[in-house]
Amino acid sequence: MDNRFNNLKKAMKQTAFNDLTFSSERKDAVKEAIKGKQSQLNLHSWKESTIIAVLETVQRESKHGYAISTLLFQKNEFCFQNNEGQLYTLLHLLENKEILSSKWINEKKYYSLTTRGKKYVAAYKQGSTKKLLSLKHLMEEASL
Amino acid sequence: MSELEHLLVTEEDLDDKEQIIDQLMHEYSDDILHLVYTYVKNRVVAEDLTQEIFIKCYEKLDQFTRRSAIKTWAYRIACNHCKDYLRSWHYRKITLNEKILDYFPSKSVHVEEEIIAKNEEESLTQAVMNLPVKYREAVFLHYYEELPLAEISKVTSVNINTVKTRLKRAKELLKDMLIKEG
Repeated sequence: MDNRFNNLKKAMKQTAFNDLTFSSERKDAVKEAIKGKQSQLNLHSWKESTIIAVLETVQRESKHGYAISTLLFQKNEFCFQNNEGQLYTLLHLLENKEILSSKWINEKKYYSLTTRGKKYVAAYKQGSTKKLLSLKHLMEEASL
Repeated sequence: MSELEHLLVTEEDLDDKEQIIDQLMHEYSDDILHLVYTYVKNRVVAEDLTQEIFIKCYEKLDQFTRRSAIKTWAYRIACNHCKDYLRSWHYRKITLNEKILDYFPSKSVHVEEEIIAKNEEESLTQAVMNLPVKYREAVFLHYYEELPLAEISKVTSVNINTVKTRLKRAKELLKDMLIKEG
């Protein structure tokens, strides 16, 4: 019986996976998509201070998007004025990058800092160049 | 803070990232496609998902910590992507409906296939593909990919002892299926 299982690789190659290869067209499609993502990179890159301002609004307690936007105005951060949609894009990206986490409470999405996010804020406040670099990279990442 | 140090990458690395994905596709795209097919059992869907997996690898490349081989890391992304797909609304509502249609006698391509599937290779493959997904993935990674148990555990996020148990159980199931077939 075990012999049969040893034969499994050959068997599957000959049957289920016969002629099943990832074509060069498919590979090109992946490359295209990556190129597209790279060009998006330049379209909206956020200022370092903007990202930090957003992170700081949720530093002490979790907040929903509108509260974050109001707080940003109070902090004289007008980057998202008349362009609130971008804030949600950024929040979403930061969430994807696991800088922020979110929870739904009463049909509102509340954001808070993850451990990773806290590290970034702390690193920014310490202000060493090395860490600033990492944040710069985070922004590039965030706009992917 | 090693994670932050790891993030100390400059823009030039973007080209590198592209190259890494190129390399990854060059070396493992067929293997990953086969892995995906094992989950979804449909060639076109498998190709679509594999495409998405490589894009995901590109997006997540910064999270690759080099603690494991890049192959293991990519396989893990592939596994998770497939499982997400099998859990998705689209799959559960649309694909499953199509599957139910397949069971009607008039559309019984599968039945015909089963009758034709006389030779040993085909019946063995068919038996594997008919296993429940948790056994199927273990069997594929162990017997086809020939990954060590520890790797399988990493790729599937399943405890190593559970992997062992599943392989054992899978063997029993396969035996039963093959015996029934005679």
